[in-house]
Amino acid sequence: MIRSLRVRLMLAAAVLALLFMLALLPALQKAFGLALQESIEQRLASDVTTLISAARIEHGRLQMPELLPDERFNLPYTGLLGYIFDRDGQLVWRSRATADQNINYQPRYDGRGNEFARIHQSDGEEFFVYDVEIKLLGGQSAAYSIVALQPVREYKQTLAGLREKLYLGFGAALLALMALLWAGLTWGLRSLRRLSRELDEVESGARDGLSAEHPRELLRLTGSLNRLLRSEREQRQRYRDSLGDLAHSLKTPLAVLQGVGENLQQRTGEREQARVLQSQVERMSQQIDYQLQRASLRKSGLVRHRVQLRPVLESLCSTLDKVYRDKRVEVMLDVSAQAEVPMEQGALLELLGNLLENAYRLSLGLIRVSLQETPGQLTLCVEDDGPGVPADQRERILERGERLDRQHPGQGIGLAVVKDIVDSYDAALSLEDSPLGGAAFRLTFHLE
Amino acid sequence: MKLLVVEDEALLRHHLNSRLGESGHVVEAVANAEEALYQAEQFHFDLAIIDLGLPGMSGLELIGRLRSQAKAFPILILTARGNWQDKVEGLAAGADDYLVKPFQFEELEARLNALLRRSSGFTQSTIAAGPLVLDLNRKQATLDEQPLALTAYEYRILEYLMRHHQQVVAKERLMEQLYPGDEERDPNVIEVLVGRLRRKLEGEHGFKPIDTVRGLGYLFTERCR
Repeated sequence: MIRSLRVRLMLAAAVLALLFMLALLPALQKAFGLALQESIEQRLASDVTTLISAARIEHGRLQMPELLPDERFNLPYTGLLGYIFDRDGQLVWRSRATADQNINYQPRYDGRGNEFARIHQSDGEEFFVYDVEIKLLGGQSAAYSIVALQPVREYKQTLAGLREKLYLGFGAALLALMALLWAGLTWGLRSLRRLSRELDEVESGARDGLSAEHPRELLRLTGSLNRLLRSEREQRQRYRDSLGDLAHSLKTPLAVLQGVGENLQQRTGEREQARVLQSQVERMSQQIDYQLQRASLRKSGLVRHRVQLRPVLESLCSTLDKVYRDKRVEVMLDVSAQAEVPMEQGALLELLGNLLENAYRLSLGLIRVSLQETPGQLTLCVEDDGPGVPADQRERILERGERLDRQHPGQGIGLAVVKDIVDSYDAALSLEDSPLGGAAFRLTFHLE
Repeated sequence: MKLLVVEDEALLRHHLNSRLGESGHVVEAVANAEEALYQAEQFHFDLAIIDLGLPGMSGLELIGRLRSQAKAFPILILTARGNWQDKVEGLAAGADDYLVKPFQFEELEARLNALLRRSSGFTQSTIAAGPLVLDLNRKQATLDEQPLALTAYEYRILEYLMRHHQQVVAKERLMEQLYPGDEERDPNVIEVLVGRLRRKLEGEHGFKPIDTVRGLGYLFTERCR
């Protein structure tokens, strides 16, 4: 399975071009061969005509001049051979060039006129033969076969040369085609690369959607993706808004009920009822908080969020500094300015808000937040110098809804929400002793 | 102390109004941000309790407007969603503390008192001036460690003057501490109350911390800690 679109296209084009060339090559050779043979035939025909025009009949005998008008007949090794046979097949004349040649050719005087053929010799040599039968010569009847021969060797050499040139040409054409195709694909696939770059940016949260500057063929895809992204975002926003409305519309009446409970408690005789009412109100409120937060902090599907840790920490610390102003808590942030965590802003805010509030409430005055990156792992640690959590209660405190310390209202769902967020991001949460003396909540992300 | 409560739910508003009134505060309870802005413009408040989920102009916007109008009183926000986004935004807008609904009144009161103490520069729950000690939680004044029998109105005036010690406090301002809203006010009542308060403080040892600044109001002369 070839994964690359470019390699696939290149391969397909190369195979196609090769097949095309393989089909074209013999056809071209054949056509050229035929054309060459035809021109050889014409040459031989004109050579024969030269012989005929030179021949005379004197006293019933064939007379040929010593030197023929065509030099090639006179010189040896020119490759052009001339023979004249009488009607019985007896050789009556041969050109000078035939001196050292011994051609085994027997014309048949059958009155069929001109004949072009290719003959094989016993030594493997081949010749083209043009054979003309004449009946009259210079107004006298004379029956002769006038024959011109030319070796096939030259023809074959020309053809081989042509083949070589064709192979070279086709090879070069194939290379040029591939290079052009590569360039074309680079150009064509550039839009795909841009699309993937934009998708990276969308996933990292750097942009909201894909741009409209893509080729027409991709617009349908990018349009659908944009619609999907937008609808997901809107749905999340709507979801969050309606959860907020739901929280408000459920919890304000609960606040009223809480007040009613408090009023009841002031009357003697109804203390027990009031206590039941209040504890139930508290339970309902916790459940609402927990379920609503859980629902709104689900990890989103497509977008791989990364949030800068420091601004979130700083805004939370300025909030908590204000709330715990009298306590004068010192927070050490052991986090570089550019450090990022793979979470959504809202979820990170809730997670750290809950952990930090715990730390602010329980610490004596010192909190440390640190982020360490080791290969494949990111560890976020929130420590305080408070009383810490006894080892035998640590597991229980991380369980959802567990309330270790009832004197501090608000702790109830905080850690449960933290645990839920941590789970939804496939991170791990552990609770240990801090060198500062208190608790250390350690959050570990596994990086891809 | 004079408090502004901004809460759209009528029952909760009523509950807060009556409970805070019982605790000795003068409460102006309104249902929306526009009314709250009007009240803040017209009167002096020591603290505001603002619900974030108000209809129309949101609680966040209201806080921003109040702060931009240089209203420096502490603001406690009430939020239905217990999420940090709201808390962070609320405090960044200028609020000082938050409380998630539903809440126990005792917790609200504890937060209020902490904010009030802080805003008048006292971080302890007592204010002391010479032999006079005010327990802000129990709303009890003691002179030379002897409990002082004060009426609710007298206590309110004393607390207000001590919180604003070494500042001239106008009669109008003291009246706002006693009566909510546009109720009919009689400046003579303040004079009568301050007169009674002076007599009780003077006692056997002649402690006289309250001066009259003619035409302006009253001045608590002792340094408070």
